[in-house]
Amino acid sequence: MLGYLLKRLIQMTLVLWVVSVIVFIMMSFTGDPVFMVVPIDATDLEIEQARRLLGLDQSVLVQYWKFMTSLLHGDFGRSYVFRQPAMTLILERLPATVEMVVVAMVLAVAVAIPLGVYAGANPNGRISRTIMAGSLMGISLPGFWVGMVLIYLFAVTWGIFPSSGRGDTAEVLGLRISLVTRDGWHHIALPAITLSLGTMAILLRMTRAGMMEVSRQDFMKFARAKGATRRDVLYKHGLKNALIPVITIFGLQLGDLIAFATITETIFSWPGMGKLLIDSIYRADRPVIVVYLMLVALIFVVINFLVDIVYTLIDPRITLK
Amino acid sequence: MKYLSQTAFRAGAVGVAILAANAAFSQDKSVTIGLTSDPSHLYPLAGEELSSNIMYYHLYDPLVKRSGDLSFGPGLAESWENVDDVTWRFKLREGVTFHNGNAFTAADVVYTVNKARESIRPGLVANIAEITAIDDLTVEFKTPKPYAVLPNDLAELLILDEEYTSATGDEQMDLKPMGTGPYMLGEWVKEEKLTLKAFDAYWAGAAKIKNVTFRPITNPATRTAALLTGEVDVIQDLAVRDVDRVKRDDMFNVITRPSLLNVVLAMDMRENSPTIEGKNPMTDQRVRQAIAQAVDVQAINKIVMNGLATPSDQFVPASHNGYVDSLSFRDMYPLDVEKAKALMAEAGYADGFTMTLDATNNRYVNDAQIAQALASMLAKIGVTLELNIMPKSNFWGYIRVPTENSSFIMSGWDVPAGDAGSMYGALFYTRGVKDGYGQVNRGSYSNPEMDALIDKADATPSIDERDGYLQDATKILMADIPMIPVHYEQDIYAARKGVTLEPRVDKFLWAYDMDAE
Repeated sequence: MLGYLLKRLIQMTLVLWVVSVIVFIMMSFTGDPVFMVVPIDATDLEIEQARRLLGLDQSVLVQYWKFMTSLLHGDFGRSYVFRQPAMTLILERLPATVEMVVVAMVLAVAVAIPLGVYAGANPNGRISRTIMAGSLMGISLPGFWVGMVLIYLFAVTWGIFPSSGRGDTAEVLGLRISLVTRDGWHHIALPAITLSLGTMAILLRMTRAGMMEVSRQDFMKFARAKGATRRDVLYKHGLKNALIPVITIFGLQLGDLIAFATITETIFSWPGMGKLLIDSIYRADRPVIVVYLMLVALIFVVINFLVDIVYTLIDPRITLK
Repeated sequence: MKYLSQTAFRAGAVGVAILAANAAFSQDKSVTIGLTSDPSHLYPLAGEELSSNIMYYHLYDPLVKRSGDLSFGPGLAESWENVDDVTWRFKLREGVTFHNGNAFTAADVVYTVNKARESIRPGLVANIAEITAIDDLTVEFKTPKPYAVLPNDLAELLILDEEYTSATGDEQMDLKPMGTGPYMLGEWVKEEKLTLKAFDAYWAGAAKIKNVTFRPITNPATRTAALLTGEVDVIQDLAVRDVDRVKRDDMFNVITRPSLLNVVLAMDMRENSPTIEGKNPMTDQRVRQAIAQAVDVQAINKIVMNGLATPSDQFVPASHNGYVDSLSFRDMYPLDVEKAKALMAEAGYADGFTMTLDATNNRYVNDAQIAQALASMLAKIGVTLELNIMPKSNFWGYIRVPTENSSFIMSGWDVPAGDAGSMYGALFYTRGVKDGYGQVNRGSYSNPEMDALIDKADATPSIDERDGYLQDATKILMADIPMIPVHYEQDIYAARKGVTLEPRVDKFLWAYDMDAE
């Protein structure tokens, strides 16, 4: 286990390093950040001054070297646009994103697993067909369209939910959380539903496929024969064995949503970090993009690690080496 | 209405305490404004973009106040006079305090000027050579040369509190602003909301609206939805496609006004141009005129802009020094494809030529579509336009002087200072001969007469003389056509009925001027 952890740690460092190199190379093609900061009629002197103040007067190699050395001191660099530490900018917005993703994932799992098990156990039923048709829609409808339709119906036409924003928040352990206020739940409903639909549909289809596969196995018949209830057969024996691929997808989706909830955040003016990434790309704000992508890489690595551990819990035949 | 019922529902659920709080709250006028983006800064010397500018003018004051229609009047300075051609004496307002209670004095002005020089925005004080405090309430500016519009420049310099700013530091100033302005910062939750409270001791009288909330809503459709549901009272930049929908609803007003942003087409005038094979045809005035007469500004307005643009008649609007009354580019060079073809033939380019148009796709309203429309219009006179369209983060570096890549550029220019001088100096002065002039002259236009007029305008302390020189310059530009003015974009706002909103030409929404029922 310790060896496994060490291997993972080395892999992770390598991944993060590669991400930083790629972003630095990539960003040299996306335009000169100085021109995003100075006025359009700036003189050469003004541009030079801005370049110096932003630390852009050195070559990319020197800039990269400086970035890496200060990184080792825990300094992730400063945004060219905001002139604030890039890490602070991202961490400020992280709770809002995580909150929305968690609600969306819980919603997705709560709906997808029971429906998936049902559809897998009764593949030819009318209800199952309806569920599967619905899941196909969930996969194919683009998030921005679903978001706009939800706003149009639930906010503009019926006035049940607010159209945008995060609502009231309260401090919990120093983090601003909206899930502890009624107004916060009121605001999170539409974005979380929008975000969850795609994942919900994928998880549902994975669960169904897994269940159909498992149903044909001998141990299911034995379980039934020894007199276990249908419910026990499905959930205890069947689902547990159908779950491995579902968990893999769950992990990937979780990372994906945290990293790229951008579209949902933009539509609902949700103050998360996805929007920051898009804005930073438009503004050629390299420090923020580098730190953001490194953080995202870290999140993916950690989630994959956790998924591996969950495998061993579900299936004792799997061990970590 | 829907929102009201929601509020009542929520208040009922939470209890009487909230109801009481709501009742106490309702005596103060409040307004919520949906902006297109969150401000990047609250510290005026840290950077410049629209949302930040809007906040700056709520929190801080300049010495000279620019009103919504670009007239200039006293702000933190009560009056000013020229001592000699290069010396200006400003009498400061007495009894003004910063939000923390510190008195505003001449030392703060001196500090601000010096601080600006070291900042990322030295352009703010480029025309100030020296500043001295004569006494607590008098400052003296020296300009490097006679400069008639110094007061206009000072309208953009927002005064900092010396004691507070030096103690707080640049980075924290962005989060904890401290000015003399009509509003104080309440709370700023990034990307979510920024609230302002009226500063009751404001020198021009406390604001009518006591609480202002700004919400950044980037997506235009969501912004419209937030207005329709009553979550916000005012929105900036109503999407063109939503104008009719909002107008139909008699609970809302749609307010439009032409902006200062003039979309212009710059033509390269060097002998050899980067994207044109052989000799550059646009060195010939007749070719430039032919291009001007082939551009159908009305069609662009009607088809691409949904009628929400104002074709521009000169390079600056009528409110500016340098505008010539009753002179119109549109009358001088009306759409006339036959005439344009004849001019091309006369110049020896009957078969036309090929060049590239550089344009943005995320900077101006429908910019990429305008570029496409231009390509089909110029095709009629044999000019083949290849489109090179890119996001703004690449654009400014790409077209930058010495313009090694471009022959034909679409960009925009706005001059909130109410004076054509800075624009003409930057865009039309022969490049590379004088520091701070011609630095954005992307077409390499050069006319000694033009340079002389700009020199004279920038050397006179008299506004009238300056206006005269700049008007002469405008006439030369209209004859030479180094650039084609296309149109001014329109700013479109929408507000709930009962909210009074007078849009400013410079787009800086200002709650101090607003009222609500």
